[in-house]
Amino acid sequence: MSCYHLSRLLFNLKMDEACFEKSLQDFEAVMNEYDLTTEERDALKSGDPRKLRQLGVHGMLCLYIKRLQPEFRDNIYWKQK
Amino acid sequence: MPLVAALAASHAPNILLEPGAEWEDFMNLHHSMAPRGSGNRPTLNQQKKLRADAEAALGVLRADLDQAKPDVLIVVANDQFVNFFWNNIPTFFVTIADEVNGQFTRHKFRYRNHKELGKTIVRAGMHKGIDFSYGEHIELQHTQTVPLYFLLPEPKIPILPIYVNTWVDPSPSPRRCYQVGELVREVADNSSERIAILATGGLSHFPGSPRIGEIDEAFDHELLAVMRDGKGKSFVDYSGDDLLQAGDTEFLNWMVVIGAVGDAKATYTAYMPDFVATGWGFVSWRF
Repeated sequence: MSCYHLSRLLFNLKMDEACFEKSLQDFEAVMNEYDLTTEERDALKSGDPRKLRQLGVHGMLCLYIKRLQPEFRDNIYWKQK
Repeated sequence: MPLVAALAASHAPNILLEPGAEWEDFMNLHHSMAPRGSGNRPTLNQQKKLRADAEAALGVLRADLDQAKPDVLIVVANDQFVNFFWNNIPTFFVTIADEVNGQFTRHKFRYRNHKELGKTIVRAGMHKGIDFSYGEHIELQHTQTVPLYFLLPEPKIPILPIYVNTWVDPSPSPRRCYQVGELVREVADNSSERIAILATGGLSHFPGSPRIGEIDEAFDHELLAVMRDGKGKSFVDYSGDDLLQAGDTEFLNWMVVIGAVGDAKATYTAYMPDFVATGWGFVSWRF
């Protein structure tokens, strides 16, 4: 099963500042913009990259969920591509 | 005219990050992904030594490049979900843009792109049965900017980014990458311009993998020894899985340069594992 839409949301968290900002305000609303299963939404809300990986997401994209976590929000990683 | 210079260099972000706070930040994120946590965290002095050693190695490569007086530098690197996503993953991509830009933390990069050389390579490939993807816009990322910061700090010559899919499965075979390098060598031989080539990436590391933090130093040392012997063609017999298991998938970028240099012996190699994620490798073939 493809996890294209889940991967796309994670990609946008890093690459699209508007998506990132909106996700900080209302992640539910952002998730509603993507064609996600309940399982995928739960994995996103858990913030656990390992759960995203289990759903087939590339490891590099799994990392991007960390951008929503206060501890890593301003990490240097997001200031380079 | 034959290629005037060939280089290979790691593109690990922490080569260009400042030792201290920037390194610590970077390591915190990476180690949060590693199930075994942070095993070896380099001290500030170790970070500074790594930076100094990398700068010294890149200084040798830059001197070789400058001495060759190239008209253009081909940069063979992989994307990592910056320009390409699951809607289209090119196996090999040639940049047909007028200029290319990018940013890495506070460092901004802007180079002219050698569009005509790009088109020549695409056409030569189609004639030979290697069908490149190509496009008019890319954004430079750490896979190019980290080595370029040290090797071509002033944009005095154009570059030509060529992408190899090393980062998602399925990816091309080492043999196919070598053939792409042979094609580039033929194009250079038939060109009146002085063409240099740089491969980036590697050596052993596991980006985005639960194995991040492991570095297969023995495998890397073997790669470098074979390059010093001018026997790089033997790598065409590696399978993609051989490289994957050693964390050397980005060596596919290097395979293009190895195809371009053929039996030439590497004249300079340097290697330093960074404790964090990556075996940093630097190679020059001086002609």
